[in-house]
Amino acid sequence: MNFDLPPDDDPRRLEVRAWFAAHPKPKYRAMAEAGYVVPHWPRPWGLAADAELQLIVDEEIKRAGVLAPNLVNPVAINNCAQSLLTHGTKAQQGRFLLPALAAEEIWCMLFSEPSGGSDLGALRTTARKEGDHYIVRGHKIWTSLAHKSKIGVLVARTDPHAPKHAGLSQFLIDMDSPGITVRPIIDMSGEENEYNEVFLDEVKVPADRLLGKEGEGWALSMSQLQTERVALSKPGAIWGAGPSARELVQGLIATGATKDPLVRDEAAKLYIEGEILRLLAYRSFSDRMNAKGAGPEAAARKVIAAPHGQRVVDLAKRCQGMAGLVRGTEALPQPNNGRGTYDNWDYAFWFSPAVTLGVGTQEILKNVIAERVLGLPREKDPTAKTPWSELQKPQLKAAS
Amino acid sequence: MDFALSDDHLVLRRSARDFLEKEIDLSPLLRPNAGVEEARYAENWQKLVELGWPGLIVPEAYGGSGLNCLDLVMIVSEMGRTLAPGPLFGTLAGTWAILKGGSETQKQAILPRVAGGGMKLALAISDRDGSSDGCGSDAEAMPAQGGYLLQGSKSFVVDAAEADLLVVAARHDHRRRFFLVDPRQAGVTIDVLPWRDTTRQVCNIRFERAKAELLAADDMAAWPWVRDRLLLVLAAESAAGLQSVLATTTEYARERVAFGKPIGAYQAIKHQLADMFSAGECANVAVLHAAWALSEETPQASASIAMAKSYACDAYVAATHQSIQIFGAIGFTWEMKNHLFFKRARANAEMLGAPATHRARVIAMLEQQAA
Repeated sequence: MNFDLPPDDDPRRLEVRAWFAAHPKPKYRAMAEAGYVVPHWPRPWGLAADAELQLIVDEEIKRAGVLAPNLVNPVAINNCAQSLLTHGTKAQQGRFLLPALAAEEIWCMLFSEPSGGSDLGALRTTARKEGDHYIVRGHKIWTSLAHKSKIGVLVARTDPHAPKHAGLSQFLIDMDSPGITVRPIIDMSGEENEYNEVFLDEVKVPADRLLGKEGEGWALSMSQLQTERVALSKPGAIWGAGPSARELVQGLIATGATKDPLVRDEAAKLYIEGEILRLLAYRSFSDRMNAKGAGPEAAARKVIAAPHGQRVVDLAKRCQGMAGLVRGTEALPQPNNGRGTYDNWDYAFWFSPAVTLGVGTQEILKNVIAERVLGLPREKDPTAKTPWSELQKPQLKAAS
Repeated sequence: MDFALSDDHLVLRRSARDFLEKEIDLSPLLRPNAGVEEARYAENWQKLVELGWPGLIVPEAYGGSGLNCLDLVMIVSEMGRTLAPGPLFGTLAGTWAILKGGSETQKQAILPRVAGGGMKLALAISDRDGSSDGCGSDAEAMPAQGGYLLQGSKSFVVDAAEADLLVVAARHDHRRRFFLVDPRQAGVTIDVLPWRDTTRQVCNIRFERAKAELLAADDMAAWPWVRDRLLLVLAAESAAGLQSVLATTTEYARERVAFGKPIGAYQAIKHQLADMFSAGECANVAVLHAAWALSEETPQASASIAMAKSYACDAYVAATHQSIQIFGAIGFTWEMKNHLFFKRARANAEMLGAPATHRARVIAMLEQQAA
């Protein structure tokens, strides 16, 4: 056991640092070609990096003052593009990967639907094969970045007669195709819109945009939701980004707020929890170095991290008192000089109710831990084995 | 960076677990008014002596095994998991105090006997108000005939009644110093307290002109180092005790049926157990980090153990209460073990500084860095 992180004079670190010194304010394309966007991927996209080298690259990107590309194009870089390595055709890899890693083409995930977010397998959007095209009809919701995206990763039902999970397929669709309408959802923060509804009305998708085979949509979607890169360098309040407990406590000490005994104890609790979350993140990296899969602490980490983040921004907000109710008033100095979306205490606070909802609600994650880690009885889905088309019949709907 | 336990550590932990699971029987404590004696406090110690555990942290030069803090956590965690009664805590505490505070002559005279199992120790540090830090003390030392005489009292001393030698913190010349005291002299009276955690023996001590020998190192040189290691024992016991509570409560939730299905099928129960598991993961990694930091004596070791102690104790307290809730009314009875863990968790949380006390220390350290 050794908790030491790669030292400052590690030769691999010096090499990465030298690259950033030679490329001040680098274009993301140059970073992508150097392998620094996805160091853990195989060459030529990445560096086939082990966990320590990934950590070094993360830290050096931050040190160079560069906004990490995965914060600009998170869906592609954190979640979905990796599926092209295993399931994409050569042509798809050539067409999509470099523009995605260089953040030249922003991606979004067309997953959730109004009929249910947590129960993804119940989705209703269909893709019907017609010659060398699929025709897509449906309605997606809670789509981050749809309004900025060139590419959408779509899950749709290609076989309505199969059980609900088995009939799904994935496509890479052009978001500027005729028939697509993107409508912003104004969330409770009232700031720049994060989420959108996407209407798909007889959208023609070329058959070569199918990712993998028909019927693989469920498995692909699940692996994409689970491959989110551990946000290592900074366990921020909002899904790993934005202000962290360290910055909270530094700020509260600087303003003198920690002289209040109640604030002092709460700040200490959050600081300690933040340090422990940092250790858990390092440990999941260390486990990967030891060729162990993502351990159960991944779900546990999210269960602790999400409400932790909410409490971090909540304490900052409360220490502002009345002034905190005035829109745009910052509680404490902005982390990262305010460059990332959530590097802003005021926005992070009014946005924070989202973090126990998105990327798995708190309730679903606790079910996952209870059922898959602790072995408690599984919640049965009575619709799991029935052909999806049967479930749509009116008499069954009435009976259910 | 490698967070995995080495094979040596896994073997050490496995052998400690196998031994304690076989040997420790808490059932005598499930009768009202039973205390540590009924739970084979003395007999368990004889078994630990056979394994060489009294000398775990005694350096090899003095006949011990010379384990570092990380090694030791493999064993004290298992003591905590099983709530094993026996005077290991007191002997560890006294050993650390002598290691850090004693002269070479004192170490040579005492440590080999400890390692051989022939001498049990206890550390009398706390006062009536529960405090263990600072220069005040309810006991005072006066020079006399080339040695010292102690007057006053110490409180909440773990394993004092069976100890063969006491290490006592007492005020001398406006400073706190440590003294060696033979408990079997006329001037020393030891009362075993009706301590709620019946898996531990806790005592008050009174000194009436008791003869004492001064330890070389002064308070500031010795106590923070000793305290951090004792906090580690308490944190490790607590994190491991939580794992035991989680396992038994999960098992109960799988088996106990209500309204036609196991209660563990209901989300109200599932979510409590998921919370307990998540807090347990946090407590475990915090304890291992602190153990590593103390073993390596890194600059952040003191902060790391303050964080681990406060987090693990709070999590243990919450888990033991939740466990009683999930068991239902049966979990509230004396005949079940739930209350033994509940009481150990409460006691560990209070010992050597409550969680809030250590959180205040963490913030003070951060303020110092910022200044």
